[in-house]
Amino acid sequence: MPMIEIRDLRKSYAELEVLKGISFDVEKGEVVVVLGPSGSGKSTMLRCINLLEEFQGGGIRIDGEAIGYTTTEGGKRRRRKEAENAKLREQVGMVFQSFNLFPHRTVLQNVMMGPLKVKGIARREAEALARDLLKKVGLLDKADQYPARLSGGQQQRVGIARALAMQPKVMLFDEVTSALDPELVGEVLRVMRQLAQEGMTMIIVTHEIHFARDVGDRIIFMDHGAIVEEGLPANILANPKSDRFKQFLRRYQGDYLDT
Amino acid sequence: MTPNVLINNLPYLLKGALVTLELSVVVLIAGNLLGLVIGIVATSVGRIGQSLITAYIFVLRGIPILVIMLLGYYAFPALGYRVPAYVAVGVAQIIYVSAFVAEIVRSAILSVPSGQIAAARSLGMRRFSILKEIVLPQATRIAIPPLLNNSLTAIKQTSYVSVVGVWELTYAAREVVERTLASFQIFLGVMAIYFIICYPLSLLARRWERRAAVVQ
Amino acid sequence: MDFLVNLLAIWARLYPSLVSGFAVTISVALAAIPLALLGALLLTPLRMWGGSIIHAVTGAYIEFMRNTPLLLQIYLIYFGLPLLGLYPSEFMCGVIGIAMQHAAFLAEIYRGGIESISQRQWDAARAMGMTWAKALRNVILPQAGLRILGPIGNQLIILVKDTSLVSAIGVVDLTMVGKVSIERLAVTLEIFLAIALIYLALTGVLGAVLRIIERRVLERIG
Repeated sequence: MPMIEIRDLRKSYAELEVLKGISFDVEKGEVVVVLGPSGSGKSTMLRCINLLEEFQGGGIRIDGEAIGYTTTEGGKRRRRKEAENAKLREQVGMVFQSFNLFPHRTVLQNVMMGPLKVKGIARREAEALARDLLKKVGLLDKADQYPARLSGGQQQRVGIARALAMQPKVMLFDEVTSALDPELVGEVLRVMRQLAQEGMTMIIVTHEIHFARDVGDRIIFMDHGAIVEEGLPANILANPKSDRFKQFLRRYQGDYLDT
Repeated sequence: MTPNVLINNLPYLLKGALVTLELSVVVLIAGNLLGLVIGIVATSVGRIGQSLITAYIFVLRGIPILVIMLLGYYAFPALGYRVPAYVAVGVAQIIYVSAFVAEIVRSAILSVPSGQIAAARSLGMRRFSILKEIVLPQATRIAIPPLLNNSLTAIKQTSYVSVVGVWELTYAAREVVERTLASFQIFLGVMAIYFIICYPLSLLARRWERRAAVVQ
Repeated sequence: MDFLVNLLAIWARLYPSLVSGFAVTISVALAAIPLALLGALLLTPLRMWGGSIIHAVTGAYIEFMRNTPLLLQIYLIYFGLPLLGLYPSEFMCGVIGIAMQHAAFLAEIYRGGIESISQRQWDAARAMGMTWAKALRNVILPQAGLRILGPIGNQLIILVKDTSLVSAIGVVDLTMVGKVSIERLAVTLEIFLAIALIYLALTGVLGAVLRIIERRVLERIG
């Protein structure tokens, strides 16, 4: 059974349809990279997976369980209870473009927040877990600092540690390097690469094409709310089929060819 | 139960409302003008001037308006001037309002990003031009919501002159209540009159707050 | 020089009344402040998350309090409650009036604080599986609370100044001491100068304390 199943996902903002029937699966341990120009709906699609955005049509399953909406026996669409959706969210970790760390808590407390307040783990255990994760992302020495004192790259690594603290089955990355200065991007990508090697199921929305080629098991290219091309990195990056994907690659060619 | 007493006394009360409106207009115009001048001056004088103005603002904002009015009421005769009560009290209210306006104006001017002034100067603009073209337009936009809220407060504060014996809407209300004992009708009715005067201003302030937020 | 010596002599005579007036002023403030803070705490969730009727009713209450003078509210309570058979003391009437008005303002401040926390914080909290209530308690409210400390402080200083209005219904607070002393002790300007200075000292000290608290908070969150 795939870890993530998305079937005919549809979403509109008022009159504007932003997701026009997206379908794809993600297997356990797979790293899927989603590329696309701004406005293609890739971030919106990602945010539907953990129901930070509502969607009006289609279905999403996380490890077999439907999130957000189920179909009743009569074939009607029913919204799941908030508590049920929240429980499902515990299995999905998300890292944000703008980090979204909690400014009123230290780095360590940020990472502990999930295990402590959501899972109800004892404080000592939660702290040990948090310290391990901070060590893993290379920020143990910043444990007692407040987020405001950290650089962008450091804050983002804390964000990754915080998401990992929930021991999720899937990690979603929403353009996590787009807001970073170029020299800080590397430290974040390094952590993500390590996660991929350890077998984490990941869906990464990004612009970084070389990262897609290095780490991705599969690339999905989206444009105007639909999947335009899909395939193995080696194949579709070398031989793009659609014009729109060719155009996209050409625009980012500078970044791509440089690596 | 119909508000007979209120309706019967409405003409009298509305006369009071008129006085309240007149007083409000005078206090607001004079207070805002004075405060505007002081606020602008505060940003362009040297250390001594700024300290004086800061002290002015600090003192006036730290004392209840009632006490300031009482001070005004007794200060004039003590200094040898015989003025009607409403003048003494009106002056006190004007000065009180000016302190708040000055603070609002001053901080609005100071909150215009200094980078813009630097840019204007590097283009060769003179001080007066910079003030006129760059600083004041932006400062105005920032200052309008708090100024409107402040005006709202000032209108409500005109009711306090009744405590010092000046006749206006609140004084009239008390007179009627003491005569008729219909506290609920009269006071609620008069509160409604104040509400009708103030609420539009409140809505205006809210709309400007939203506009200012969008621009930021 | 003469004037100054005279002034100090008068102030020495007035000292007992001033102290008792000051004590009453402080009592009114200390009684009204917790009532206003707690009252607003009740109003805010009703206003933000109550059903449409509750939302409208609390909204109307808040608007009415904000657009009518405090003096009239105090008069309404003082002259109106006896008609209902209730006879609270002047002190109580003043405290209730002040608390009701300031609860309305504080409720708006609380609401502004919560709404000012970026949607992204909600996103991060919900993304880790927090329910709405958990997110509110652990992420939103702590941040909002820190943010509104300044505005709350300002509002409380206004409250302290508003206590002077209780003199209008006969409570012998610091302001009333002035009015009373005029007849009894034949002094005018001198006593009101003293009263003004005492209020100034009170609000000045409060303001300084609040600024220190704010600075500590900002240092922590940076």
